Amino acid sequence: MTLLAFDWILLIEKFVLIAIIVSVSLVIAMYETYAERKVAAFLQDRPGPNRAGPFGMLQPLADGLKLFMKEEIIPNTSNKFLFILGPCLAMLTAMMTCAVIPWGSHLELFGRHIDLQIADINIGILYVFGVVSMGVYGIMIGGWASNNKFSLIAALRGASQVISYELAMGLSLIALLMLTGSLSLRTIVDQQMAPGHLWNIVYQPLGFLIFLVCAFAECNRTPFDLPEAENELNFGYHQEYSSMKLGFYLFAEYINMFISSVIMATLFFGGYDIPFLDESTLNPNVAALLGGAALFLKVVFFIFLFMWVRWTVPRFRYDQLMDLGWKKLIPLALANMVVTGAVILWLKK
Amino acid sequence: MNAIILSAILGVIMMFSGIWVNNKATLRWIALAGLLVLLISNIAEMYGYRIWNVNVHNMLYFDRFGLLFNSVAIGSTFIFVALSGSDINRVGKYAAEYYTLIFFVLTGITIISVYTSLLMLFLGIEIMSIPLYILTGSDKRNLKSNEASLKYFLMGAFSTGLMLMGITLIYGATGSFSIEVLNNPAIAQGVSFLEITGMLFLLVSMAFKVSAAPFHFWTPDVYDGAPGVFTSFMATVVKAAAFIAFVKLFDARMSYSSAVVDWKMLLCILIIATLLIGNITAVFQQSVKRMLAYSSIAQAGFMLFAVFSMNEMAKEGIIFYAVSYSLATIGVFAVLLKMKDFTFEGYNGLAKSQPVLAFANTVFLLSLAGIPLTAGFFAKYFMLASVIQTGHYLWMVIVAVLFAAVSVYYYFRVIQAMYFKTGEGETENIHPGFKTGLIILTVIIILLGVAPNLIINFLYF
Amino acid sequence: MSITVVLFWFLTALALLSAIMVLLSKNPVHSVLWLIVVFFAISGHYILLNAQFLAIVNLIVYAGAIMVLFLFVIMLMNLNAETEPQKNTWLKLAGAISGGSLLLILVSVIRSATDMTGRTAQVGEGNIGLISNLGKALFSEYVVPFEISSVLFLSAMVGAVVIGKKD
Repeated sequence: MTLLAFDWILLIEKFVLIAIIVSVSLVIAMYETYAERKVAAFLQDRPGPNRAGPFGMLQPLADGLKLFMKEEIIPNTSNKFLFILGPCLAMLTAMMTCAVIPWGSHLELFGRHIDLQIADINIGILYVFGVVSMGVYGIMIGGWASNNKFSLIAALRGASQVISYELAMGLSLIALLMLTGSLSLRTIVDQQMAPGHLWNIVYQPLGFLIFLVCAFAECNRTPFDLPEAENELNFGYHQEYSSMKLGFYLFAEYINMFISSVIMATLFFGGYDIPFLDESTLNPNVAALLGGAALFLKVVFFIFLFMWVRWTVPRFRYDQLMDLGWKKLIPLALANMVVTGAVILWLKK
Repeated sequence: MNAIILSAILGVIMMFSGIWVNNKATLRWIALAGLLVLLISNIAEMYGYRIWNVNVHNMLYFDRFGLLFNSVAIGSTFIFVALSGSDINRVGKYAAEYYTLIFFVLTGITIISVYTSLLMLFLGIEIMSIPLYILTGSDKRNLKSNEASLKYFLMGAFSTGLMLMGITLIYGATGSFSIEVLNNPAIAQGVSFLEITGMLFLLVSMAFKVSAAPFHFWTPDVYDGAPGVFTSFMATVVKAAAFIAFVKLFDARMSYSSAVVDWKMLLCILIIATLLIGNITAVFQQSVKRMLAYSSIAQAGFMLFAVFSMNEMAKEGIIFYAVSYSLATIGVFAVLLKMKDFTFEGYNGLAKSQPVLAFANTVFLLSLAGIPLTAGFFAKYFMLASVIQTGHYLWMVIVAVLFAAVSVYYYFRVIQAMYFKTGEGETENIHPGFKTGLIILTVIIILLGVAPNLIINFLYF
Repeated sequence: MSITVVLFWFLTALALLSAIMVLLSKNPVHSVLWLIVVFFAISGHYILLNAQFLAIVNLIVYAGAIMVLFLFVIMLMNLNAETEPQKNTWLKLAGAISGGSLLLILVSVIRSATDMTGRTAQVGEGNIGLISNLGKALFSEYVVPFEISSVLFLSAMVGAVVIGKKD
């Protein structure tokens, strides 16, 4: 029997890593909801949630409990299987992106070299794109299966927004990839950590800006939150959902926010790199933990940025949204790409 | 390479001139100038002058045969735009885009006449077809045009799918896309079943592209539904180009007999079916446009003889056939487009109201029927003579001659309507320039009917 | 049976089953969803052949973009099992018989063909499918078709604008 002949310890190691990363993302997503309400309160000069536990710290748990206890309604006329599949897909695609992100360099425990990354594949960024483009299905299937006109329209609106901004996002990254010459996220981080190299944001400010805007749109966050505009567009694709299935959609959005913050930090801000410090002089375990903390700090900043924008900028109209995506961002990203290519060619000669 | 790159560039130029030029007549002059430049550059390449020196990695091979056909195709397009340009401008608002698409079609044509790699064949066929789907549906208010476009697109996509499947199987069998490998006698005679299946798929998809029966069902509806000008372009230049690709692809299959598949017999069936269906159905049509659609199927049957016999004479013949058939059909369509009524009755009494048009039309129809002293006679002669040269299949020649006689019936119905029936023969306003153009075209056809070597000599000198 | 062989058979069965389900589903939306499963299974095959780039591009382009457009159209036109036209049973039967005989012939030919034996795919090795090698091949040996395909896309775009624009 050679059927199961492979490195069992590696498998266990990866399983532990996956379990840790998934639960950490879920906890972060939970506390994002709390942070969102606190930030909103701060910007609007009110106290925000402050009853459950000290400073309202237990509020997300109370919210979760509430969602679980609500009555679960599946509309009679809906397509039951797809109705349930929708939120599952949204959650699944949100979680799957974690697989290629390097969370830290590596640990050395029990004589083993443990990479803090689930899989280092040589097409890391494309994998992220692939999974993100699958995320559309969660929205579309959920909206269609509800058998409700408003849900359907909102789902179409959401899907067309996501696929429109995916283009500009991809184009803005091509310029970055010309610089790095690799699609592996770990290689990209290592390049930024190497002595004498600056973070990619220095070389690609415009690319980062485009990527940031597109990330906002991909996560359906204000000012691009048309798919779920509660007041004027009669809620969104999750209109018919209740209980934890609604919770899944909302949760998936927060996880997406977290993941896109991580990716921005990794691609443009050095990932787990600590500025002005040579990590190789430290014990690898200490370096890994410090690096992880550095990445976490960068991510917290981006999450704050997401919320800051949400409570400052008003929502776009639909035609403005499409205009920005197709007529401004894509030409800008193309120009960025051409200029970067020309500069690289010029410097190499 | 000149023509491929230049036609793509000219397409882009036409696209941009649509922004700055509002006058449609000016656009037509720009297109004509572009075609002239293209023609000159291609003829220059025939004599060894290349503008770009591109390393094509053995994917294209610029031989005399392919380049001569390019010249023929570009020249026919020039005549087509010169005669029917005003009708292109009338189809819709986007004249500049129509010319752009025509230039892109020419890019595709110039690729498939010189390809040596199946990849390039696929790309060329697609570049040629996709603009045609659009041109077919360019009359947006007309439901028939929409239907034709959709039908053409779906059927075309399906046949392209078959072609890709065939190419995949051939690649699996030989490990190469090159038609040199494919036409290697050892492989052509061999019993590699993957490769044979692949060739069969290619045969089906090429038969579809040239609208040979039994893969012709899209043709009448598409040719009838599309705006008349674009039908004229589709039925002539494009169809002839597909034949050139066909000839290059099946070279070795016809020259060497394979132990497993009788390729000649397969082609025999195709030819007989095409001649039968094309000619017999054309007899029963009431609309001249639809009759021409069926007659183009029948003409395809004759052109298939070139693939069938595959000798030097066939190669000369297919080029000559392409010229004579394209010119005559472009002429017939140019006259048809000026008519108010597309049925046979619409032609009644045309000889009285428009004698020049009627005379030119008669010459074109005679050429299509293959009457001596017109180019069409020598075209058919070359095709049949090439079959006789192979020494077998004489019965095919006899069948073909019989069907040619049938075709005379429906071509002469138009002539009869023009000269021997009374009626108004109503036409649009005829510009004197149009008449001059028709007369020049008539002279060319008669000239070629007297001295066919004018074209064929280009193959060798 | 190594793990790759198990995976291969699993993916093959999945691809064939979902391809059949594409045809059998009454509801067009279900057909599209099954088609997406087919693309996933095929991408799995690409990964087994160590062609990661192809696998992921297959997903991004087909499953992520083209199928979304399919869904768009089907959902907007509100096609469902009731609006699906009832096809003639005889026509279905004729199609099944002619398609089935083609399948039978192809399978029997491939089974008996001498040029198929001993030519199995190399699973998990070879590196032509990796992005750097693919890029090199595309920009050296296959540069002519690569550049020429731009004309194809340009003409398709011009066509889409001509068809789509309001008169």
